[in-house]
Amino acid sequence: MKRVREEEIFPRNPNKTYGLMELVKGSSPRVDRGPDDMVSSWPHLLIREAILFAACFTVILALAVFDQPPLDKPADPTKPPNPAKAPWYFLGLQELVSYDAFWGGLGIPGILIIALMAIPYFDRHHSGIGRWFAKSRTTACFLFTVLFVIPTIALIIIGTYFRGPNWGFYSPWNMPLEPQTVLPFIN
Amino acid sequence: MSTQLQTSTPSTTEPSGNGGGAGRPPDDVSLGAWLRALPGRINRAIYRQAPEVFDNVKLLPYNLYKSIYRTTAFPKTERERSEAFFNSFLLHIQPAKIEKHALRFTYTFGLGLLSFYLFLILTVTGILLMFFYVPSTEDAYNRMLDLRSAVSFGMVMRGMHFWSANAMIGVVFFHMCRVFYTGAYKPPREFNWVIGVLLFVLTLVLGFTGYLLPWDQLAFWAITVGANIAGKADFISTQLASLGLPDYHFGVISKNILLGGDTVGQEALLRFYVLHVALLPSILGVLIVGHFWRIRKDGGISSPKESPE
Repeated sequence: MKRVREEEIFPRNPNKTYGLMELVKGSSPRVDRGPDDMVSSWPHLLIREAILFAACFTVILALAVFDQPPLDKPADPTKPPNPAKAPWYFLGLQELVSYDAFWGGLGIPGILIIALMAIPYFDRHHSGIGRWFAKSRTTACFLFTVLFVIPTIALIIIGTYFRGPNWGFYSPWNMPLEPQTVLPFIN
Repeated sequence: MSTQLQTSTPSTTEPSGNGGGAGRPPDDVSLGAWLRALPGRINRAIYRQAPEVFDNVKLLPYNLYKSIYRTTAFPKTERERSEAFFNSFLLHIQPAKIEKHALRFTYTFGLGLLSFYLFLILTVTGILLMFFYVPSTEDAYNRMLDLRSAVSFGMVMRGMHFWSANAMIGVVFFHMCRVFYTGAYKPPREFNWVIGVLLFVLTLVLGFTGYLLPWDQLAFWAITVGANIAGKADFISTQLASLGLPDYHFGVISKNILLGGDTVGQEALLRFYVLHVALLPSILGVLIVGHFWRIRKDGGISSPKESPE
Protein backbone atom coordinates (compact mmCIF):
# COMPACT_ATOMS: atom_id res chain seq x y z
CA MET A 1 0.00 0.00 0.00
CA LYS A 2 1.36 3.33 -0.95
CA ARG A 3 1.10 6.04 1.63
CA VAL A 4 -0.15 9.40 0.45
CA ARG A 5 1.04 12.53 2.10
CA GLU A 6 -2.33 13.59 3.40
CA GLU A 7 -1.11 16.76 5.04
CA GLU A 8 -0.57 18.49 1.78
CA ILE A 9 -3.59 17.24 -0.14
CA PHE A 10 -6.02 17.26 2.77
CA PRO A 11 -4.91 19.85 5.34
CA ARG A 12 -5.82 18.84 8.87
CA ASN A 13 -8.75 20.75 10.31
CA PRO A 14 -8.09 21.55 14.00
CA ASN A 15 -11.84 21.71 14.66
CA LYS A 16 -12.33 18.05 13.72
CA THR A 17 -11.56 15.08 15.89
CA TYR A 18 -11.23 12.88 12.81
CA GLY A 19 -9.16 13.14 9.71
CA LEU A 20 -8.04 11.30 6.63
CA MET A 21 -5.56 8.64 7.66
CA GLU A 22 -4.66 6.83 4.52
CA LEU A 23 -5.67 6.18 0.95
CA VAL A 24 -5.72 2.56 -0.14
CA LYS A 25 -6.31 0.87 -3.47
CA GLY A 26 -9.56 -1.00 -3.92
CA SER A 27 -13.00 -0.90 -5.45
CA SER A 28 -14.75 0.16 -2.24
CA PRO A 29 -17.18 1.87 -1.82
CA ARG A 30 -19.21 -0.57 -3.85
CA VAL A 31 -22.76 0.04 -4.95
CA ASP A 32 -25.60 -2.22 -3.72
CA ARG A 33 -23.16 -4.42 -1.81
CA GLY A 34 -21.33 -3.49 1.34
CA PRO A 35 -17.94 -4.81 2.33
CA ASP A 36 -17.95 -8.37 3.71
CA ASP A 37 -21.30 -9.25 2.14
CA MET A 38 -23.25 -7.06 4.52
CA VAL A 39 -26.77 -5.98 3.73
CA SER A 40 -29.08 -3.52 5.43
CA SER A 41 -31.11 -4.99 8.26
CA TRP A 42 -33.95 -2.92 6.89
CA PRO A 43 -35.68 -4.57 5.13
CA HIS A 44 -33.76 -7.84 4.78
CA LEU A 45 -33.70 -8.86 8.46
CA LEU A 46 -36.94 -7.14 9.44
CA ILE A 47 -39.10 -8.83 6.81
CA ARG A 48 -37.78 -12.27 7.81
CA GLU A 49 -38.50 -11.57 11.47
CA ALA A 50 -42.00 -10.37 10.65
CA ILE A 51 -42.72 -13.49 8.57
CA LEU A 52 -41.38 -15.72 11.35
CA PHE A 53 -43.63 -14.05 13.90
CA ALA A 54 -46.67 -14.34 11.65
CA ALA A 55 -45.95 -18.04 11.09
CA CYS A 56 -45.32 -18.67 14.79
CA PHE A 57 -48.49 -16.89 15.85
CA THR A 58 -50.59 -18.64 13.21
CA VAL A 59 -49.41 -22.11 14.18
CA ILE A 60 -49.94 -21.49 17.91
CA LEU A 61 -53.39 -19.97 17.31
CA ALA A 62 -54.39 -22.88 15.06
CA LEU A 63 -53.23 -25.42 17.65
CA ALA A 64 -55.15 -23.56 20.37
CA VAL A 65 -58.34 -23.53 18.32
CA PHE A 66 -58.22 -27.06 16.92
CA ASP A 67 -56.46 -29.01 19.68
CA GLN A 68 -57.47 -27.88 23.13
CA PRO A 69 -55.24 -28.49 26.13
CA PRO A 70 -56.21 -31.39 28.42
CA LEU A 71 -58.13 -30.95 31.67
CA ASP A 72 -58.43 -34.03 33.84
CA LYS A 73 -60.76 -34.61 36.79
CA PRO A 74 -60.22 -32.32 39.80
CA ALA A 75 -57.13 -33.09 41.87
CA ASP A 76 -57.80 -35.81 44.45
CA PRO A 77 -54.92 -36.70 46.79
CA THR A 78 -56.68 -39.98 47.70
CA LYS A 79 -56.83 -41.32 44.13
CA PRO A 80 -53.34 -41.64 42.64
CA PRO A 81 -53.29 -42.71 39.00
CA ASN A 82 -51.10 -45.65 38.05
CA PRO A 83 -48.62 -44.70 36.80
CA ALA A 84 -48.40 -41.10 37.96
CA LYS A 85 -46.40 -39.32 35.29
CA ALA A 86 -44.45 -36.06 35.42
CA PRO A 87 -44.81 -33.48 32.60
CA TRP A 88 -43.50 -34.96 29.34
CA TYR A 89 -40.23 -32.98 29.45
CA PHE A 90 -39.40 -34.54 32.84
CA LEU A 91 -40.33 -38.10 31.81
CA GLY A 92 -36.71 -38.72 30.87
CA LEU A 93 -35.81 -37.81 34.45
CA GLN A 94 -38.59 -40.03 35.81
CA GLU A 95 -37.29 -42.88 33.66
CA LEU A 96 -33.81 -42.40 35.13
CA VAL A 97 -35.29 -42.22 38.65
CA SER A 98 -36.82 -45.65 38.10
CA TYR A 99 -33.27 -47.04 37.84
CA ASP A 100 -31.71 -45.09 40.69
CA ALA A 101 -33.51 -42.52 42.79
CA PHE A 102 -30.68 -40.08 43.57
CA TRP A 103 -28.40 -40.50 40.56
CA GLY A 104 -31.30 -40.57 38.13
CA GLY A 105 -33.20 -37.63 39.55
CA LEU A 106 -30.47 -35.28 40.74
CA GLY A 107 -26.96 -36.67 40.28
CA ILE A 108 -26.87 -37.24 36.52
CA PRO A 109 -29.03 -34.18 35.59
CA GLY A 110 -26.90 -31.94 37.83
CA ILE A 111 -23.65 -33.22 36.35
CA LEU A 112 -25.16 -32.88 32.86
CA ILE A 113 -26.08 -29.21 33.34
CA ILE A 114 -22.64 -28.37 34.73
CA ALA A 115 -21.01 -30.33 31.91
CA LEU A 116 -23.08 -28.45 29.31
CA MET A 117 -22.04 -25.10 30.78
CA ALA A 118 -18.40 -26.20 30.83
CA ILE A 119 -18.28 -27.20 27.13
CA PRO A 120 -17.07 -23.86 25.69
CA TYR A 121 -14.30 -23.62 28.30
CA PHE A 122 -12.80 -26.91 27.19
CA ASP A 123 -13.63 -26.98 23.48
CA ARG A 124 -11.96 -23.71 22.54
CA HIS A 125 -10.40 -24.56 19.20
CA HIS A 126 -11.31 -22.01 16.57
CA SER A 127 -12.43 -24.32 13.82
CA GLY A 128 -15.70 -25.08 12.15
CA ILE A 129 -17.52 -22.02 13.48
CA GLY A 130 -20.57 -21.06 11.47
CA ARG A 131 -21.02 -24.38 9.64
CA TRP A 132 -23.32 -27.27 10.36
CA PHE A 133 -21.44 -30.45 11.31
CA ALA A 134 -18.03 -29.10 10.23
CA LYS A 135 -15.57 -31.85 9.33
CA SER A 136 -13.04 -30.60 11.86
CA ARG A 137 -15.62 -31.04 14.63
CA THR A 138 -16.79 -34.58 13.93
CA THR A 139 -15.77 -35.86 17.37
CA ALA A 140 -17.45 -33.01 19.25
CA CYS A 141 -20.67 -33.40 17.25
CA PHE A 142 -20.61 -37.19 17.76
CA LEU A 143 -20.11 -36.92 21.52
CA PHE A 144 -22.80 -34.26 21.93
CA THR A 145 -25.26 -36.36 19.94
CA VAL A 146 -24.52 -39.65 21.70
CA LEU A 147 -24.18 -38.29 25.24
CA PHE A 148 -26.89 -35.61 25.26
CA VAL A 149 -29.26 -35.36 22.31
CA ILE A 150 -30.13 -39.02 21.73
CA PRO A 151 -30.42 -40.01 25.43
CA THR A 152 -32.61 -36.97 26.18
CA ILE A 153 -35.03 -37.70 23.35
CA ALA A 154 -34.95 -41.49 23.79
CA LEU A 155 -35.64 -41.39 27.53
CA ILE A 156 -38.55 -38.99 27.04
CA ILE A 157 -40.03 -41.26 24.36
CA ILE A 158 -39.64 -44.34 26.57
CA GLY A 159 -41.16 -42.57 29.56
CA THR A 160 -44.04 -41.22 27.52
CA TYR A 161 -45.03 -44.17 25.34
CA PHE A 162 -43.50 -47.30 26.84
CA ARG A 163 -44.26 -46.99 30.54
CA GLY A 164 -47.51 -48.29 32.00
CA PRO A 165 -48.84 -49.38 35.41
CA ASN A 166 -46.19 -49.73 38.11
CA TRP A 167 -43.73 -48.16 35.63
CA GLY A 168 -43.66 -51.48 33.80
CA PHE A 169 -42.40 -51.66 30.23
CA TYR A 170 -45.24 -52.02 27.72
CA SER A 171 -45.25 -51.48 23.99
CA PRO A 172 -47.56 -48.58 23.05
CA TRP A 173 -50.00 -50.93 21.22
CA ASN A 174 -50.10 -53.24 24.21
CA MET A 175 -50.62 -50.59 26.91
CA PRO A 176 -53.25 -51.53 29.52
CA LEU A 177 -56.14 -49.13 28.93
CA GLU A 178 -57.59 -49.33 32.45
CA PRO A 179 -54.66 -48.86 34.79
CA GLN A 180 -55.04 -50.72 38.08
CA THR A 181 -55.07 -48.29 41.01
CA VAL A 182 -54.60 -50.95 43.67
CA LEU A 183 -50.85 -50.61 43.96
CA PRO A 184 -49.88 -47.01 43.35
CA PHE A 185 -46.30 -46.62 42.33
CA ILE A 186 -44.97 -43.12 42.76
CA ASN A 187 -41.30 -42.47 42.48
CA MET B 1 -63.48 55.15 40.48
CA SER B 2 -65.11 53.06 37.79
CA THR B 3 -66.71 56.03 35.98
CA GLN B 4 -63.37 57.75 35.75
CA LEU B 5 -61.69 54.80 34.08
CA GLN B 6 -64.56 54.00 31.76
CA THR B 7 -63.39 56.77 29.45
CA SER B 8 -60.05 55.21 28.76
CA THR B 9 -60.03 52.63 25.98
CA PRO B 10 -59.11 49.08 26.95
CA SER B 11 -56.49 48.80 24.22
CA THR B 12 -54.35 51.58 25.68
CA THR B 13 -54.57 50.47 29.31
CA GLU B 14 -53.93 46.86 28.45
CA PRO B 15 -50.43 45.74 29.46
CA SER B 16 -48.44 44.78 26.41
CA GLY B 17 -47.70 41.33 27.76
CA ASN B 18 -51.39 40.47 28.14
CA GLY B 19 -52.23 40.17 24.45
CA GLY B 20 -54.31 37.46 22.89
CA GLY B 21 -57.63 38.12 24.66
CA ALA B 22 -57.18 35.45 27.33
CA GLY B 23 -57.36 35.92 31.09
CA ARG B 24 -59.45 38.14 33.33
CA PRO B 25 -59.75 41.92 32.73
CA PRO B 26 -57.02 44.08 34.27
CA ASP B 27 -57.91 45.76 37.57
CA ASP B 28 -58.04 49.27 36.13
CA VAL B 29 -60.47 48.40 33.31
CA SER B 30 -64.19 47.97 33.80
CA LEU B 31 -65.63 44.60 32.93
CA GLY B 32 -68.06 46.10 30.42
CA ALA B 33 -65.35 47.83 28.42
CA TRP B 34 -63.17 44.78 28.47
CA LEU B 35 -66.02 42.59 27.25
CA ARG B 36 -66.93 45.04 24.49
CA ALA B 37 -63.35 44.99 23.20
CA LEU B 38 -63.03 41.24 23.48
CA PRO B 39 -64.59 40.17 20.12
CA GLY B 40 -62.29 42.53 18.28
CA ARG B 41 -59.27 41.21 20.04
CA ILE B 42 -60.21 37.59 19.43
CA ASN B 43 -60.83 38.50 15.81
CA ARG B 44 -57.39 40.04 15.48
CA ALA B 45 -55.78 37.10 17.21
CA ILE B 46 -57.46 34.66 14.86
CA TYR B 47 -56.41 36.66 11.81
CA ARG B 48 -52.87 36.84 13.10
CA GLN B 49 -52.45 33.20 14.12
CA ALA B 50 -55.02 31.18 12.21
CA PRO B 51 -52.83 30.39 9.20
CA GLU B 52 -50.16 28.98 11.47
CA VAL B 53 -52.65 26.93 13.51
CA PHE B 54 -54.27 25.70 10.33
CA ASP B 55 -50.88 24.53 9.06
CA ASN B 56 -50.22 22.80 12.37
CA VAL B 57 -53.51 20.93 12.09
CA LYS B 58 -52.59 19.80 8.61
CA LEU B 59 -49.13 18.72 9.76
CA LEU B 60 -50.36 17.08 12.97
CA PRO B 61 -50.02 13.44 11.82
CA TYR B 62 -46.53 14.10 10.48
CA ASN B 63 -45.42 16.05 13.58
CA LEU B 64 -46.90 13.44 15.89
CA TYR B 65 -45.01 10.69 14.05
CA LYS B 66 -41.80 12.74 14.02
CA SER B 67 -42.03 13.42 17.76
CA ILE B 68 -42.21 9.68 18.49
CA TYR B 69 -39.96 8.25 15.80
CA ARG B 70 -37.49 10.57 14.11
CA THR B 71 -36.79 8.44 11.05
CA THR B 72 -38.88 8.14 7.92
CA ALA B 73 -41.31 5.23 7.91
CA PHE B 74 -40.20 4.19 4.43
CA PRO B 75 -36.41 4.48 4.35
CA LYS B 76 -34.94 4.47 0.87
CA THR B 77 -31.29 5.43 1.13
CA GLU B 78 -28.69 3.35 2.96
CA ARG B 79 -28.38 6.09 5.56
CA GLU B 80 -32.13 6.13 6.22
CA ARG B 81 -32.17 2.36 6.47
CA SER B 82 -29.44 2.41 9.07
CA GLU B 83 -31.21 5.17 10.97
CA ALA B 84 -34.42 3.14 10.94
CA PHE B 85 -32.62 0.61 13.13
CA PHE B 86 -30.54 2.67 15.46
CA ASN B 87 -33.15 5.39 15.98
CA SER B 88 -35.74 2.83 17.04
CA PHE B 89 -35.90 1.68 20.62
CA LEU B 90 -37.27 -1.72 19.68
CA LEU B 91 -34.89 -2.32 16.78
CA HIS B 92 -31.65 -0.78 18.04
CA ILE B 93 -30.61 -3.96 19.86
CA GLN B 94 -30.11 -5.44 16.40
CA PRO B 95 -27.33 -4.36 14.02
CA ALA B 96 -28.12 -1.88 11.25
CA LYS B 97 -26.11 -4.00 8.82
CA ILE B 98 -26.09 -7.76 8.84
CA GLU B 99 -24.07 -10.42 7.11
CA LYS B 100 -25.92 -12.26 4.35
CA HIS B 101 -24.90 -15.57 5.90
CA ALA B 102 -26.76 -14.73 9.10
CA LEU B 103 -29.99 -14.35 7.14
CA ARG B 104 -29.94 -17.87 5.68
CA PHE B 105 -32.93 -19.67 7.16
CA THR B 106 -31.21 -23.07 7.08
CA TYR B 107 -28.37 -21.74 9.23
CA THR B 108 -30.44 -20.93 12.34
CA PHE B 109 -33.97 -22.06 11.39
CA GLY B 110 -34.97 -18.96 13.33
CA LEU B 111 -34.98 -21.05 16.51
CA GLY B 112 -33.57 -18.43 18.87
CA LEU B 113 -35.97 -15.71 17.75
CA LEU B 114 -38.77 -18.27 17.70
CA SER B 115 -38.24 -19.07 21.37
CA PHE B 116 -38.34 -15.33 22.12
CA TYR B 117 -41.58 -14.96 20.16
CA LEU B 118 -43.07 -17.87 22.11
CA PHE B 119 -41.96 -16.16 25.33
CA LEU B 120 -43.80 -13.00 24.21
CA ILE B 121 -46.97 -14.96 23.40
CA LEU B 122 -46.67 -16.71 26.76
CA THR B 123 -46.31 -13.38 28.57
CA VAL B 124 -49.34 -11.83 26.90
CA THR B 125 -51.64 -14.87 27.20
CA GLY B 126 -50.32 -15.51 30.71
CA ILE B 127 -51.23 -12.00 31.88
CA LEU B 128 -54.68 -12.40 30.31
CA LEU B 129 -55.14 -15.73 32.11
CA MET B 130 -54.14 -14.11 35.41
CA PHE B 131 -57.34 -12.03 35.22
CA PHE B 132 -59.38 -15.23 35.52
CA TYR B 133 -57.30 -17.43 37.79
CA VAL B 134 -57.22 -17.84 41.58
CA PRO B 135 -54.36 -19.84 43.12
CA SER B 136 -56.59 -21.66 45.60
CA THR B 137 -57.20 -25.39 45.84
CA GLU B 138 -60.93 -24.71 46.07
CA ASP B 139 -61.23 -22.27 43.18
CA ALA B 140 -58.46 -23.12 40.72
CA TYR B 141 -60.21 -26.06 39.03
CA ASN B 142 -63.53 -24.19 38.76
CA ARG B 143 -61.66 -21.32 37.14
CA MET B 144 -60.34 -23.76 34.54
CA LEU B 145 -63.93 -24.85 33.85
CA ASP B 146 -64.92 -21.18 33.59
CA LEU B 147 -62.30 -20.70 30.89
CA ARG B 148 -64.19 -23.33 28.90
CA SER B 149 -67.70 -22.04 29.41
CA ALA B 150 -67.89 -18.51 30.83
CA VAL B 151 -64.85 -16.54 29.67
CA SER B 152 -64.79 -15.14 26.12
CA PHE B 153 -61.97 -16.80 24.19
CA GLY B 154 -60.94 -18.50 27.45
CA MET B 155 -59.93 -21.71 25.74
CA VAL B 156 -58.05 -19.83 23.01
CA MET B 157 -56.03 -18.03 25.70
CA ARG B 158 -55.33 -21.21 27.62
CA GLY B 159 -54.67 -23.16 24.42
CA MET B 160 -52.16 -20.61 23.15
CA HIS B 161 -50.45 -20.56 26.54
CA PHE B 162 -50.35 -24.36 26.67
CA TRP B 163 -49.04 -24.86 23.13
CA SER B 164 -46.52 -22.02 23.32
CA ALA B 165 -45.14 -23.44 26.58
CA ASN B 166 -44.74 -26.93 25.15
CA ALA B 167 -43.34 -25.58 21.89
CA MET B 168 -40.90 -23.32 23.73
CA ILE B 169 -39.32 -26.26 25.56
CA GLY B 170 -38.77 -28.05 22.26
CA VAL B 171 -37.61 -24.94 20.41
CA VAL B 172 -35.11 -23.96 23.13
CA PHE B 173 -33.72 -27.51 23.09
CA PHE B 174 -33.29 -27.49 19.31
CA HIS B 175 -31.82 -23.97 19.44
CA MET B 176 -29.20 -25.34 21.83
CA CYS B 177 -28.50 -28.22 19.42
CA ARG B 178 -28.15 -25.74 16.53
CA VAL B 179 -25.66 -23.64 18.49
CA PHE B 180 -23.61 -26.73 19.31
CA TYR B 181 -23.60 -28.25 15.82
CA THR B 182 -22.54 -24.96 14.23
CA GLY B 183 -19.78 -24.37 16.81
CA ALA B 184 -21.40 -21.08 17.78
CA TYR B 185 -20.51 -21.43 21.47
CA LYS B 186 -16.77 -21.09 20.93
CA PRO B 187 -14.81 -18.05 22.18
CA PRO B 188 -15.79 -15.24 22.46
CA ARG B 189 -19.30 -16.65 22.93
CA GLU B 190 -18.60 -18.99 25.90
CA PHE B 191 -20.56 -17.03 28.46
CA ASN B 192 -23.55 -16.58 26.18
CA TRP B 193 -23.71 -20.38 25.95
CA VAL B 194 -23.72 -20.52 29.77
CA ILE B 195 -26.59 -18.00 29.86
CA GLY B 196 -28.32 -20.14 27.25
CA VAL B 197 -28.04 -23.30 29.39
CA LEU B 198 -29.52 -21.35 32.32
CA LEU B 199 -32.34 -20.16 30.07
CA PHE B 200 -33.02 -23.78 29.05
CA VAL B 201 -33.19 -24.91 32.70
CA LEU B 202 -35.41 -21.94 33.61
CA THR B 203 -37.74 -22.74 30.71
CA LEU B 204 -38.15 -26.28 32.08
CA VAL B 205 -38.78 -25.00 35.61
CA LEU B 206 -41.33 -22.47 34.32
CA GLY B 207 -43.12 -25.27 32.51
CA PHE B 208 -43.06 -27.39 35.64
CA THR B 209 -44.44 -24.65 37.93
CA GLY B 210 -47.19 -23.85 35.41
CA TYR B 211 -48.15 -27.51 35.16
CA LEU B 212 -49.63 -27.53 38.69
CA LEU B 213 -51.89 -24.51 38.28
CA PRO B 214 -54.95 -26.19 36.65
CA TRP B 215 -55.18 -28.31 39.81
CA ASP B 216 -56.50 -31.39 38.04
CA GLN B 217 -55.44 -35.00 38.58
CA LEU B 218 -52.78 -34.70 35.84
CA ALA B 219 -51.25 -31.62 37.50
CA PHE B 220 -51.45 -32.84 41.08
CA TRP B 221 -49.75 -36.18 40.50
CA ALA B 222 -47.17 -34.85 38.06
CA ILE B 223 -46.00 -32.32 40.66
CA THR B 224 -46.08 -35.02 43.35
CA VAL B 225 -43.73 -37.10 41.21
CA GLY B 226 -41.52 -34.08 40.45
CA ALA B 227 -41.31 -32.97 44.07
CA ASN B 228 -40.39 -36.51 45.10
CA ILE B 229 -37.39 -36.26 42.77
CA ALA B 230 -36.28 -33.18 44.76
CA GLY B 231 -36.63 -35.32 47.89
CA LYS B 232 -33.94 -37.66 46.58
CA ALA B 233 -31.33 -35.12 47.71
CA ASP B 234 -31.49 -37.02 51.00
CA PHE B 235 -28.88 -39.28 49.41
CA ILE B 236 -26.23 -36.56 49.81
CA SER B 237 -26.98 -35.90 53.48
CA THR B 238 -27.12 -39.66 54.19
CA GLN B 239 -23.69 -40.05 52.59
CA LEU B 240 -22.38 -37.14 54.65
CA ALA B 241 -23.93 -38.67 57.77
CA SER B 242 -22.07 -41.92 57.10
CA LEU B 243 -18.86 -39.88 57.21
CA GLY B 244 -19.68 -38.78 60.74
CA LEU B 245 -21.45 -35.47 60.01
CA PRO B 246 -24.96 -34.79 61.33
CA ASP B 247 -27.79 -35.81 58.97
CA TYR B 248 -29.24 -32.61 57.50
CA HIS B 249 -31.97 -34.32 55.40
CA PHE B 250 -31.31 -32.22 52.29
CA GLY B 251 -34.13 -33.93 50.44
CA VAL B 252 -36.72 -33.17 53.10
CA ILE B 253 -35.53 -29.56 53.25
CA SER B 254 -35.58 -28.99 49.49
CA LYS B 255 -38.97 -30.68 49.13
CA ASN B 256 -40.34 -28.52 51.96
CA ILE B 257 -38.95 -25.36 50.39
CA LEU B 258 -40.55 -26.31 47.08
CA LEU B 259 -43.96 -27.40 48.41
CA GLY B 260 -44.25 -25.45 51.67
CA GLY B 261 -45.13 -28.77 53.32
CA ASP B 262 -44.76 -32.51 53.02
CA THR B 263 -47.36 -32.93 50.30
CA VAL B 264 -48.74 -30.94 47.39
CA GLY B 265 -51.41 -28.65 48.85
CA GLN B 266 -52.54 -25.04 49.13
CA GLU B 267 -49.05 -23.80 50.09
CA ALA B 268 -47.48 -25.59 47.12
CA LEU B 269 -50.08 -24.11 44.75
CA LEU B 270 -49.40 -20.60 46.04
CA ARG B 271 -45.64 -21.07 45.78
CA PHE B 272 -45.80 -22.45 42.27
CA TYR B 273 -48.14 -19.62 41.27
CA VAL B 274 -45.85 -16.85 42.54
CA LEU B 275 -42.82 -18.55 41.00
CA HIS B 276 -44.65 -19.03 37.72
CA VAL B 277 -46.18 -15.57 37.24
CA ALA B 278 -43.64 -13.28 38.91
CA LEU B 279 -40.25 -14.54 40.01
CA LEU B 280 -39.20 -16.94 37.24
CA PRO B 281 -40.47 -14.81 34.30
CA SER B 282 -38.57 -11.81 35.72
CA ILE B 283 -35.35 -13.79 35.95
CA LEU B 284 -35.95 -15.24 32.50
CA GLY B 285 -36.58 -11.75 31.09
CA VAL B 286 -33.35 -10.37 32.55
CA LEU B 287 -31.37 -13.34 31.20
CA ILE B 288 -32.97 -12.96 27.75
CA VAL B 289 -31.89 -9.30 27.64
CA GLY B 290 -28.39 -10.36 28.71
CA HIS B 291 -28.40 -13.10 26.06
CA PHE B 292 -29.32 -10.60 23.31
CA TRP B 293 -26.83 -8.02 24.55
CA ARG B 294 -24.03 -10.59 24.46
CA ILE B 295 -24.88 -11.54 20.87
CA ARG B 296 -24.13 -7.94 19.82
CA LYS B 297 -21.06 -7.62 22.05
CA ASP B 298 -19.65 -10.90 20.71
CA GLY B 299 -19.93 -9.60 17.15
CA GLY B 300 -23.33 -10.82 15.99
CA ILE B 301 -24.27 -14.40 15.32
CA SER B 302 -21.53 -16.82 14.39
CA SER B 303 -20.19 -16.83 10.84
CA PRO B 304 -17.93 -19.16 8.85
CA LYS B 305 -15.64 -16.15 8.31
CA GLU B 306 -14.51 -16.50 11.92
CA SER B 307 -12.58 -19.69 11.33
CA PRO B 308 -10.93 -21.55 8.49
CA GLU B 309 -12.45 -24.91 7.71
